[in-house]
Amino acid sequence: MARVRKARAAAHRRASLPPLAPPFVLDVTLEIPAGISILLGPSGAGKSTLLDCIAGLVRPDVGCVRVGQDVWFDSQKSIDLPVHQRRVGYVFQSLALFPHLSVEQNIVYGIAQRAPQERSQRLEEVLQAFGIADLRGRKPAEISGGEAQRVELARALVTDPQVLLLDEPMSGLDEELKAGIIADLRAWRTAKNIPILYVTHSKSEAQALGDRRIVMRAGKVIDQPSAPMPG
Amino acid sequence: MKLAACVAALLLALGMPIAYWLAYATWRAKFLLEAVVALPLVLPPTVLGFYALLAMGPHGPLGKFWYAAFGHGLAFTFGGLLLASMFYSLPFAVQPLMNAFEGVDPRLLNAAAVLGASPWRRFASVILPLSLPGMVAAVVLCFAHTLGEFGVVLMVGGNLPGITRTASIAIYDNVQALQYGEANRMALVLLCVSFVVLAIVYGVNRHARRLWTPWTGR
Repeated sequence: MARVRKARAAAHRRASLPPLAPPFVLDVTLEIPAGISILLGPSGAGKSTLLDCIAGLVRPDVGCVRVGQDVWFDSQKSIDLPVHQRRVGYVFQSLALFPHLSVEQNIVYGIAQRAPQERSQRLEEVLQAFGIADLRGRKPAEISGGEAQRVELARALVTDPQVLLLDEPMSGLDEELKAGIIADLRAWRTAKNIPILYVTHSKSEAQALGDRRIVMRAGKVIDQPSAPMPG
Repeated sequence: MKLAACVAALLLALGMPIAYWLAYATWRAKFLLEAVVALPLVLPPTVLGFYALLAMGPHGPLGKFWYAAFGHGLAFTFGGLLLASMFYSLPFAVQPLMNAFEGVDPRLLNAAAVLGASPWRRFASVILPLSLPGMVAAVVLCFAHTLGEFGVVLMVGGNLPGITRTASIAIYDNVQALQYGEANRMALVLLCVSFVVLAIVYGVNRHARRLWTPWTGR
């Protein structure tokens, strides 16, 4: 369960990280259970900014972000866990594979601190799950769009995140590739019981994947299936 | 050659934190440090050398400190020449490094952060390798710029054979002594070194561009 309570963000830039979004006012109270929640809304509604707030790339002015029992951000208690300490899987709107690393090195980047045996076991697991085992030695410039998308998902999921954020991860891909990745995601959702927030404009993706829908407009949630948590 | 190699190596180490700070800091008065770093580009070398000489002289702050710490003065020594040369070539290290750091796709840094990389690891594993062309450019430009140094060296280092006499000053001495053959030989060496250095910079940049093209198919 992930909770975002009264996160008001003016899209503050993190000192050591570049800004992702222009100045923007977001006022959201949201509870995201395990499973896939589809985040819908027009461009500029604040969907990506909300994801950035949860990931810690954008610091809200006030509010709190909780995942399970962990508090990642609480303005009243001055808690603000740095991005790299939040266990979040995030696939950005545009691909961000490290161009100087191979597919395999990209995937293990987030689990570099783990024991070698565990690392190779988890690597093999996601390589097989996403059907990208034969790409392991290639650089991102040498693989196709659909393959790069799978590598991104594998890289995000291999870390065993507490929450998964997917920002239009399949825009620009053809239907056949989408169907394959949707099948991968559904299998992963069944295996790992974590909250997944999935931003999309595609009705077919929403129908194929969504356990529930959240609709945003102008920085506010205007429709969500269950009532937001009190307080 | 010794001076140029020392300046290039030390400026790479010193230039990286300065360039990183200039590339990523949000401090409003950052432009002041940028101006200080770029100052040697517009300042006549003799002016820079003059102030360096004053600072390193027996009554200058740097000279006094050096004397207290090491028991001898700084002016007209290799150490003094090294310090002045480093300041003189600072923009040639900082500018390419800063451009390279700024050129790293911000999405990659965000991706590294959400994958659990600390700021230091993001620097070491993403920024540094992707800035390799900038680092090569910084090293070779500092080396070449120091090799051709004249005004600052003459002001701060004098012309002590084996200690502070650089190639440019040796050429000047030879011309003054009407030894054109010797001057021509040394000038040709400098010309060749400069060409090779620039060829390396452009070659590395081209190779890196081909190797590290990000995936941009969407």
